[in-house]
Amino acid sequence: MRIGIDVGGTHTDAVVLDGETVIAAHKALTSEDVVTGVVDALTYLASQTIDFGAIEAVMIGTTQFTNAVVQRRDMAPVAAIRLGLPSGRGMLPMLGWPEDMAAAMGGHIYMLHGGYLYDGQLLAPMDEAEIEAVVTDLVTKGIRTAAITSAFSPMNAQPEQHVANRIRARIPDMRITMSHRIGRVGLLERENAALLNASLLAFADKVVSAFDNALAQFGLHCPIFISQNDGTLMDAAFVREFPALTFSSGPTNSLRGAARLTGLEDAIVVDIGGTTSDIGLLRGGFPRESNMVVEVGGVRTNFRMPDVMAIGLGGGSLVSDDGCSIGPQSVGHKLVTEGLIFGGSTLTVTDIVVAAGQADIGDRQMVAHLPPELVANGLATIRRMLENGIRKMKPNADPLPVILVGGGAILAPDTLAHASAIHRPENSSVANAIGAAIALIGGEAERFVNYNERSRDVCIADTRMAAHDAAIAAGAATETIRVTEIEETPIPYMDQGAMRIRIKVVGDVEALVSGKEPAL
Amino acid sequence: MKLTVDMLTDLSVGAAFLATGGGGDPHITYLCAQQGLRRYGPADLIQPEELPDDAMVVAIGAVGAPTTSLELLPSIDESARVLEEYRRRTGRAVDAVVSFEIGGGNSLIPIVAAAANGIPVIDGDGMGRALPEATMMTFAIAGMSPTPALALDYAGNTEMIDAPDVHAYERLIRAFAMQRGGMAISAEFQMSGAQMKSCVVPGTVSLSIALGKILRSGGGNADQLAPALADLFENSIYGAFRQLYSGTVSDMSTNVIGGYDVGRAVIESLTNGTPSLHIDIKNEYLTACLDSKILASVPDLITILDYETAQPINAERLRYGQRVSVFAIGCPAHYRTTQALSVVSPRCFGFDFDYVPLDAET
Repeated sequence: MRIGIDVGGTHTDAVVLDGETVIAAHKALTSEDVVTGVVDALTYLASQTIDFGAIEAVMIGTTQFTNAVVQRRDMAPVAAIRLGLPSGRGMLPMLGWPEDMAAAMGGHIYMLHGGYLYDGQLLAPMDEAEIEAVVTDLVTKGIRTAAITSAFSPMNAQPEQHVANRIRARIPDMRITMSHRIGRVGLLERENAALLNASLLAFADKVVSAFDNALAQFGLHCPIFISQNDGTLMDAAFVREFPALTFSSGPTNSLRGAARLTGLEDAIVVDIGGTTSDIGLLRGGFPRESNMVVEVGGVRTNFRMPDVMAIGLGGGSLVSDDGCSIGPQSVGHKLVTEGLIFGGSTLTVTDIVVAAGQADIGDRQMVAHLPPELVANGLATIRRMLENGIRKMKPNADPLPVILVGGGAILAPDTLAHASAIHRPENSSVANAIGAAIALIGGEAERFVNYNERSRDVCIADTRMAAHDAAIAAGAATETIRVTEIEETPIPYMDQGAMRIRIKVVGDVEALVSGKEPAL
Repeated sequence: MKLTVDMLTDLSVGAAFLATGGGGDPHITYLCAQQGLRRYGPADLIQPEELPDDAMVVAIGAVGAPTTSLELLPSIDESARVLEEYRRRTGRAVDAVVSFEIGGGNSLIPIVAAAANGIPVIDGDGMGRALPEATMMTFAIAGMSPTPALALDYAGNTEMIDAPDVHAYERLIRAFAMQRGGMAISAEFQMSGAQMKSCVVPGTVSLSIALGKILRSGGGNADQLAPALADLFENSIYGAFRQLYSGTVSDMSTNVIGGYDVGRAVIESLTNGTPSLHIDIKNEYLTACLDSKILASVPDLITILDYETAQPINAERLRYGQRVSVFAIGCPAHYRTTQALSVVSPRCFGFDFDYVPLDAET
């Protein structure tokens, strides 16, 4: 058995899964300190005669690290060390960042010689005196966190490793993020990702320890895993090193949970909450990823994020007097006091569906006076918004099954254009927690290669091996690892045969397969 | 007109549109130009006719594979240095600079060189779009010599290039770039003011700024912006403008055409029963066909915008499932001559059909 917990902005959901079966589920409000909400959820599960001794793993999805960045809190100053000179002169780290975010990093910038070129040649040799001067400066200024980025480190990370070693030799407790461990090709975005990650390292220690303690209170001594933004898991030790990989894991868990609840691998998922409906696409059981640059707290990164479109339709969304316009304003979680059916004075989407007899919540008498025309217009507006959103997310003209999840799923009608079928799975209100509980361990690798120099088969095998190793490092069981994506992109304006290969693999959680702690 | 830092965003978005799917990710070049103008101050943008006939102008830009500059970052002083080195090594005067390619980041590089050296940059360029080779520039088609040229690598190393013709030059400059990390900056095609006026595609820098302003206006999706775009292009040296198709990218594959691997994107209409649109890609979007009917072909411009945000999507970022709108724009008259079509027609890219001018379609 395993426990899945999803800590969202408003709700903390928890489920217990025995294999494929949900045997208990709970939805509670998220507490200010997060851990209290988790403890509340576990207290409820403990009261449901669940044998915590039989729990093999706990999977947690959390928005804490995203919120820390968005709100610029719990972030430590970071030394931004880049090896790329003599290229990029004047193109300093944190270029184009919001000023308050750059300020949170402390402005410690070090530009050094080093790095590689696309063809594996040295960009420039490293300068040991230059590195020594940086280390001395870090000691003098008392900086204890660093992000190290070198040109083409996803292909050759030796310069990043060398500088990290040199720093650790003088400052053993230095917290370091090496960019090749967190991002892909695209130096500025990878460096940004490394900087955000590094600044969260101290906070990650605090959060993971808090989760550890909370679980220990319940006698849970099994491994803890945390959801990543691509729908895979990392173990607790890995989170202490890569907290930024949790960004955007909420929508991903919701999509993956919807897949599990319905058994559908290719479908549109609509997660209807209080303020928005988030529409995403499942392909082969995993969310389609956004291929746009993703901004986190105003900073460009190249994290793997699901392609989710939010529209302003939720249970608390405001409805215009004629019913022809809805949202994006919403009473949000105040629906239970401000909505008409709860004795409030604001006309919301929930009031419309109750008046129409589509749902039975609150006091239906409170909406009996609404003109039938207003109710009909309101329902038509809901339908139009959902159908437009679904049409835009569909990969082609063929109808797809639509899975409705989230507390606001009652807003949706039973038929929709572009939908081959509508699914409203049981337990859909805790889809996120289920998504967390069923997640797999992933690994990814990227290479620049030339098929004229080495055969395509060899190039792909090499890249696949690197992805495989990354998955094992993150806690996957070797024998269960399988390739989920091979992406080959020709490099424009270069010789025929010059390619960029990216391979993703996933595997089952080692700890669940063999019952032993994952090796790191 | 003064070209200031705050105009660079519009310019780079407009230039991405004119890049017709090529030119790489404009973000890095944009950041570099932004830092450059912050350091050197604004540049003077002058119309081609404002440059005296006996003044000397040189074309400046980057050559190579833009993908490599995702890691091998440009330096903010490199376009200034290529011009300084060019003057020093050739002993020639340079009174103004011009872009050889308005499509993509090469629209921005001469501006920084101009600002740093206190000379004007010409409102115009040598392509009016993006194209893969020096042989395809209007300067080359008009018979101007690309050499003596000076190439500068990321480390500041320079090489003078002399070549008997533009074909030989193209091979030498590309080899230099590939050996030096995949990117180089070059100063080439020195011309007199009179020569430049005879072959430059005029007004493309200011047109890019106006274009970027429309695309960034927040005025709506691709359909809603189409009238403003039509108005801009129809009243310019480009002339013809069409919104060809809107739909979802349903397939990306590779075809062998004329011995080259050419990518093909299939865009499917959201209306059942409408045939899908095929776009053939070799760095740039080259042809757009509905069934077997050629709707647009190189050297006319084909551009793909994200449907919702109306932002240009380059070929590297075009992916399955994207909702897009496809536009075609007539090429400037410079590319309609027999001589020009002998280097830029669809046959030059391996297709077995002739150029079908966009305005002949109606």
